[in-house]
Amino acid sequence: MSYFIDRGYTSLNHVGEELCGDRVECSVNGDVLTAVLCDGMGSGVKANILATLSSKILCTMLSNGIPINDCIETLIASLPVCKVRGVAYATFSVCLIDNDGKGRLIEFDNPAAILIRNGEVSDLPRTKSVICGKNVYTTELALLPGDAIVVTSDGVEHAGIGMMMNFGWERPQIKDYLRRVVKPNMSARAISAALAGECNELYMNEPGDDTTVLGIKVREHQTTSVFVGPPIHKEDDAQYVKDFMALPGKKAVCGGTSSQIVARNLGKEVTTSCEFHDKNIPPIGYIDGIDLTTEGVITVRRVLELSEDYLNPQDCNAAVLNKRDGATLLARMLFEDSTDVNFFVGQSQNHAHDGLPIETRMKLKLIDRLADNLKKMGKHVTVRYN
Amino acid sequence: MVLSVCVGSSCHLKGSYDVIESFKKLIEKHGVADKIELRACFCLGRCSDGVAVKADKEYILNVNGSNAEQKFVDEILPLLG
Repeated sequence: MSYFIDRGYTSLNHVGEELCGDRVECSVNGDVLTAVLCDGMGSGVKANILATLSSKILCTMLSNGIPINDCIETLIASLPVCKVRGVAYATFSVCLIDNDGKGRLIEFDNPAAILIRNGEVSDLPRTKSVICGKNVYTTELALLPGDAIVVTSDGVEHAGIGMMMNFGWERPQIKDYLRRVVKPNMSARAISAALAGECNELYMNEPGDDTTVLGIKVREHQTTSVFVGPPIHKEDDAQYVKDFMALPGKKAVCGGTSSQIVARNLGKEVTTSCEFHDKNIPPIGYIDGIDLTTEGVITVRRVLELSEDYLNPQDCNAAVLNKRDGATLLARMLFEDSTDVNFFVGQSQNHAHDGLPIETRMKLKLIDRLADNLKKMGKHVTVRYN
Repeated sequence: MVLSVCVGSSCHLKGSYDVIESFKKLIEKHGVADKIELRACFCLGRCSDGVAVKADKEYILNVNGSNAEQKFVDEILPLLG
């Protein structure tokens, strides 16, 4: 059985710093995902350089199958030594996991990762080994669909020290928070944003430490296909709609003309809601058999904006997506609920739109950028032009 | 009468939202809530003359937030007969 390995992270910067001293690096090689979280010593530029170097070296080497001992040796030899402290240091957590949910977690000096399974929260069994004089902990992973692993930097455990809490946020409390807040349908990004957002509250919006949460979640594939824009040749409509409907999973149709084409070929009617949940986004419509029907280019442009927020690791609210306007509904469907997205993009021109910021070329560009952003989220994306 | 206001991309940019809000108030003001059913609809195919409004089979074009009342009184109410 092949699953989708979902990953997403959220980072808070040490108050007053432009750069984060934590760094997440991911790469997919064949059917193996390598995800690395490094925490560089200190904060600001110095920490950022240490974390960037370490995460990049580990991610590149490990994803190419090089043994961990060699990676750590390279790391020690490469990191610049801090003049003040006389050491070179970055902690790391590495998760290597394949599409079956099998893999390994390797941890050095970061807080131990937490497993969420069936709403229960637990520690993972770790085996200690000494590599180049460093205590490294390894866990063999055999994850099931729905399982999530939460990897953090120590900024999470330090949250609220001397402010809301005397000793920071202790591990049992962190686990309790995850138990209460994490719902089965949440994506890896949503889980990470919830936990980091809570840390930010405890820090009263002024994090005393770089704080990063990386979520890794095993999910069943969920496909969504999006029909946007009428095809150039009218006579292709029927075949085009047929191909669209033949795909598995959910269906979304964006655009007035597109919804007419889909409805006509399905022998259904389009009805339109009169409710503006957001003044700037046209109301949604309904077609029997289609999961979501929206206006076209204005809605897509907003979805693109929402995808930029979703990809911004410092945004703790981007995954909430609980508004009811067409753009938010589509964004939730694509970012949170889907693992695979197919775009059916029609390139026909609507001359009534000439000169307005909604013409066809503009729309094609928006779709391209949205497809790119979905890929950055780790999703499998195909685009078919008609 | 079914009164449909186009909320397609082009009409939306030209102010469908304001037109719908105006019509809601006008229907109230003229006490015709039992005679007019206000709806939104996707593109009516009259993008260059937006905001496009359809009163049953009749098109009323170039409506916007500021002329909505005049259009409503002059062109829509008479259609109620």
